[in-house]
Amino acid sequence: MNATAASIGHDSHDHHGPVLQYQPGLPLSRGKLIMWLFLSTEIMFFAALLGSYVVLRFGAAVWPKPHHVHLSEPIGAFNTFVLICSSVTVVLALEAAKANKRSLAKTWMLVTLVLGSLFLGVKAYEYSSKFDHGIYPWAPRGRIYERPDLYYGSAVRARLSDPVILEKMKELDGQEESELSDAEIIGRRRLKQVRDMVNNPDQQAFDLAVVADQIMPLPAEGADSHGHGGGLNDTFAWLQLPAVIPGGNMWASTYFFLTGFHAIHVIVGLIVFGILLLYQLGPQTAGMIENAGLYWHFVDLVWIFLFPLLYLF
Amino acid sequence: MSNSEAHKNPSATHGPITSPGKSPDEIDHAIEEEHAHDHHGGTMQYMAVFVALCFLTTMSFLTYSSYWPWRDEPQVGWAFMMAVSCTKALLVVLFFMHVLWEANWKYVLTIPAAMMAIFLTIMLVPDIGLRNRMVSQERALHMARGSDVLLLEKAADADSSGEVDKHEHE
Repeated sequence: MNATAASIGHDSHDHHGPVLQYQPGLPLSRGKLIMWLFLSTEIMFFAALLGSYVVLRFGAAVWPKPHHVHLSEPIGAFNTFVLICSSVTVVLALEAAKANKRSLAKTWMLVTLVLGSLFLGVKAYEYSSKFDHGIYPWAPRGRIYERPDLYYGSAVRARLSDPVILEKMKELDGQEESELSDAEIIGRRRLKQVRDMVNNPDQQAFDLAVVADQIMPLPAEGADSHGHGGGLNDTFAWLQLPAVIPGGNMWASTYFFLTGFHAIHVIVGLIVFGILLLYQLGPQTAGMIENAGLYWHFVDLVWIFLFPLLYLF
Repeated sequence: MSNSEAHKNPSATHGPITSPGKSPDEIDHAIEEEHAHDHHGGTMQYMAVFVALCFLTTMSFLTYSSYWPWRDEPQVGWAFMMAVSCTKALLVVLFFMHVLWEANWKYVLTIPAAMMAIFLTIMLVPDIGLRNRMVSQERALHMARGSDVLLLEKAADADSSGEVDKHEHE
């Protein structure tokens, strides 16, 4: 195009030299074009993540049910609702800015920022309920075992022979029943039983399943996200014994990977909205709001697929 | 740009240099202002889409509730939820992202990306999706199986029926 412009400039014998002009190839502004190009790479990025999740999930021999991994469907649905609301407030902010209703646009933008933060807050609460149960996205801190086998038994034994835990258990054994709550009295009896079972050389395969159930039972359907069946890990928070969730490790990897990347996108969106709030939101900034909105709707779009895939499948 | 738009805008039919003296920023502004005067959308329409999205979210949540009749056949629920999710995604893309009112460039960006996404997923199937068809003994030893879940459920049943406590007193 530059060559054509230059040659035409010569033909017209313009004494001020050739005037280079810009003609957009597509009927959209540069900012919007770049945002859409970026979004098309994002489509591939998240499609790869979601696709890998689906393939891993349906290729797995066992995949935990949502309630086995302390996922709460109502909380997920609430977060979906929050994101949908925030998508609406972004379009309302854009409409208000186009109509030059600056304070209204600012209000809608602020509401979007609050809703996005609420989403992140709920997500943080959900993450904490996973961490409470020893479910971490990385191995050294994760306490999840795939099956109640000998490896699991030896991991429980190793934890129980940790000097700090031994000291705490000695303290617990020395306490009078009157000093303990009912749950702790039952817990103490069960802990003794677990110690006997993991140390018994004649243990049966079923014994280790009982040990796993005593330490952290798989929660029943309908339990809340912090719900548990009163396992030893919940009664005595300092125990932190290894637990069994069949398929739990792969689940944790995919869950934290997917929701983590989504949360990073939410954080970036919130930063963008924070910056936009510094501007006068009128017709001049409508293009910026539109581009930020496009990004935010995409983040919403990803969650629309994540919610059923993670919480309801 | 659609054909009708191209005809309305004579500059588009006269080669690359058509609007003398306009800088990129001026043209961007002109495009944005043109967009600002488009009368698509409107608050009522957005609210209608919002209500539809909320309704669809409730529908997918229905599969979790006790009113869902196909609880024993999860595949029905999965297909239903995917259909609901695709409808929601379509609503967001068409109305909130204004794709319904965009010119044909939208296909250039979205269709190749979507195809790429589908192929990427399909290509994972032989190595990852079917990884449990043929596994080494080493892996089979450590991976969870359906029987492990049954074993844990049996242990939980034994616990709730008091058998475990009995076992302890023996």
